Amino acid sequence: MLPTDLLSYRQNGEEIIPKRLKIDEENLQLANKLINCFQQAVGKTQGTLERQLLELEGDTPDYRVKRGLAYILKNSFCKFEVVSPVEPQKLREKVFALAAKSVPSRKLTAATLDRVARELSQELEREILSVQVREGLYADLAENKVLTAFDAPTPAQLLHRYNLSQVQGVFYQASQLVLNAHRNVPGEYKLLFRYLKFFQLMAYIEGDADHGFTITIDGPTSLFYPSTRYGLAIAKLIPALLHVTKWSLHATLQVRDFYTQTRKIGRFTLNSDCGLVSHYPPGKPYDSMLEASFADKWTSLNTPWVLEREVDLIPIPGSVMIPDFRLVHPDGRSFLLEIIGYWRPEYLQKKFAQVRRAQCQNLILAISERLNLDKAGVKIHDVPAKIVWFKDKLLPKSVLEVTD
Amino acid sequence: MARTPRLTFDRGTLILHPPPRGKGWMDYAMWDDRIEKFRIPALQYRCLVEALVAENSDFIDEARAFYPLELVTSLEMQPYPHQTEALEAWKLAGRRGVVVLPTAAGKTYLAQMAIEATQCTTLIVVPTLDLMHQWYAHLLAAFPDTEVGLLGGGSRDKTPILVATYDSAAIHAETLGNQYAFLIFDECHHLPTDFHRIIAEYAIAPYRLGLSATPERQDGKHADLNVLIGPEVYRKKAQELAGKALAEHEVVQIKVKLSPHERQKYNQLIQIRNDFLQQSKISLGSIQGWQKFVQISARSQAGRRAMLSHQKAKEIALGTEGKLRVLADLLAKHYPEHILIFTADNATVYRISQEFLIPAITHQTPIKERHQILTKFCQGEYKTLIASHVLNEGVDVPAASVAIILSGTASTREYIQRLGRILRKNKDTKAKAILYEVVAEDTTEENTSARRRGTKTNEIKKEVGNLQVVYSSFKQKSYRAAEKLEFNYTTENKLCD
Repeated sequence: MLPTDLLSYRQNGEEIIPKRLKIDEENLQLANKLINCFQQAVGKTQGTLERQLLELEGDTPDYRVKRGLAYILKNSFCKFEVVSPVEPQKLREKVFALAAKSVPSRKLTAATLDRVARELSQELEREILSVQVREGLYADLAENKVLTAFDAPTPAQLLHRYNLSQVQGVFYQASQLVLNAHRNVPGEYKLLFRYLKFFQLMAYIEGDADHGFTITIDGPTSLFYPSTRYGLAIAKLIPALLHVTKWSLHATLQVRDFYTQTRKIGRFTLNSDCGLVSHYPPGKPYDSMLEASFADKWTSLNTPWVLEREVDLIPIPGSVMIPDFRLVHPDGRSFLLEIIGYWRPEYLQKKFAQVRRAQCQNLILAISERLNLDKAGVKIHDVPAKIVWFKDKLLPKSVLEVTD
Repeated sequence: MARTPRLTFDRGTLILHPPPRGKGWMDYAMWDDRIEKFRIPALQYRCLVEALVAENSDFIDEARAFYPLELVTSLEMQPYPHQTEALEAWKLAGRRGVVVLPTAAGKTYLAQMAIEATQCTTLIVVPTLDLMHQWYAHLLAAFPDTEVGLLGGGSRDKTPILVATYDSAAIHAETLGNQYAFLIFDECHHLPTDFHRIIAEYAIAPYRLGLSATPERQDGKHADLNVLIGPEVYRKKAQELAGKALAEHEVVQIKVKLSPHERQKYNQLIQIRNDFLQQSKISLGSIQGWQKFVQISARSQAGRRAMLSHQKAKEIALGTEGKLRVLADLLAKHYPEHILIFTADNATVYRISQEFLIPAITHQTPIKERHQILTKFCQGEYKTLIASHVLNEGVDVPAASVAIILSGTASTREYIQRLGRILRKNKDTKAKAILYEVVAEDTTEENTSARRRGTKTNEIKKEVGNLQVVYSSFKQKSYRAAEKLEFNYTTENKLCD
């Protein structure tokens, strides 16, 4: 992600259009130039790298693009380390204590550095020059740190990351995000909600699996006034959202007017055809081998029931339940199926509490016979769901039996 | 039978469920559809609980995670009258409010008195790492039997008395919110920003104390302190405390002329900029004009060139070689007195540190080393210290009798607080403290210098009282003291008289 001063966007009325680099020959070359600049700076100081980058910037007006690309390279693909023979902090202590004994002047500086160099040469039993002492004095400053490793991306990867970062930047000012998740199979919602929870955001869910869902995303205090406090978290959520299959969103922005310094409301929209590329790893299609093999067996089954994966969201106050599967019959009947394999007792307690609060009428729970539910303190009889017990593997046939 | 209402804390807010009887609490609560419960801003905790108690509503308070402490101080001093008065005023206001006292008037000790009087878990929020360590050292000495910890600068403690930076406290606002009954905001003018204000908003702390020498903000947001902390309960100016806690000092401004070569280069660069501005019909007199310049410089090559010229010209004006020579002279003149040097930018700090071998403190200096440098400076092992902005606010640097400002950014507050650094009472020497301000003549920087003191450029001002200001005249050359101190470094011999 980019700092605010490197964000570029155009304004078209209320609409904000973040800068986007085309993946064309010209931009690929620019990206390549920057990547090369970093590659050549391996083993050199950050200060040297910065100066080379500044030179590359020249006096062309597109310096902010170059700075943005460099920022991404520096923060996501580089490793900088302090490389120094004598620990700089100890060196400073020694030099400053010695220098403080007389009136500071440039003449004294030269004499002091010479003396320290001689002393160090004796101590370390190798020749240390006074210029090395002078340079070593602040070897631990960021600009004097050495680029030790550079994990170069491809030029296209860098441009995609830049475009995504520009879009993410728009959300820094966001006080709320309304996401329309359109009907699609599979929905791939689990990853999104995992990140949502991880970034401490809150969601309000409306809709159903046949038509899609409207998910309003903000934070606890958003109830009282629109707060950009959650803007950064929302920005971090975007790469996860890119893994959801079919969606559109609009965000409410709290924009500070450039001239009047007052706040006004801005809008930003985005959808799944935006062409942005996520760098977050995609979620696994199935939580377990158990689910994978169940879905496999279903395809070879001759039944009118269609198996859909991760398409439904069941809102629970303060949370959401995303059942693994949904069974749909052409006549309109549908069931939700949640497979409960091996899990820790706390998870089971939470899961069953969720099921109870969901008050879902058409839920099927497939539970492993190996689970010790009594020990986990779960009472199965007050769970409002049809139960299918299974041993090692879950057979489609036994699930179909309870649908009738 | 209905369940007893429970009040819980959720990431900077309160949840009250099931709803209690009575109506008083409804003034503060809002229905939250997302959780199907009533939610209340954490800041309203005290009003809400008072409303519930007033109506005799039965409820269980699970929100508060703060608790009483048994604090016995082992650091007792005779408080100044203004400290006792301020504490009384704050207590009378229901232990909520802002106390305005000049730098070095003993705010830390006042806070210690307030902590002792309140006896519960306390969070102290400070703007800099230096202040953090200063508070930490003081509180360790004051309350040796209580755990004192740090949040920020690499530490993540969870102690009943915690000192945090504004940044770290804001980052962790959601989790800190219910842990402390008493919040102290040092240099509380830092609080009313969009990012920092949530430290107060997400906290349920019923007791709050704000401390500042200059709570006024240029953006007018200091009015928000009324809500975030409480009303201003006490104020005293430096003049009113003169002779009590503060030492006298004078301000001496030294003007440095650019060398002919630098002058030529400077004029060239300014010419490039001005030509462009004229062509584009931009006036830099207003903020809008400046913003327009910034925008255009990102669009056209000529604009970019003009901006780069402007920046280079500014560099020449700020970090002239001449200032370093003046510095060398002042260092020689005042050795071995304790001298503090301030500059605006880190590059100059490190340049001077390397050229004169003077220990430097910037925001990049590791915490422990910073502490060590300050200790050695106080003990007298180091006579001089150079710093960028980090030492600006209320850091204890005792017995520094000379301060030199080499260049600075314009801000009234900054100037006052920098002055505060050498306002400290020096017990050993009777000599007046001196603050030198070294500025380049006839450049944009002169305006900055005047703005910093809060005066207009062509004003000759002499303040009587404990702030003896000897300003040089900017336009007229009649003022003798000013003339004496104005020199051109190209004739270096004149420097030592």
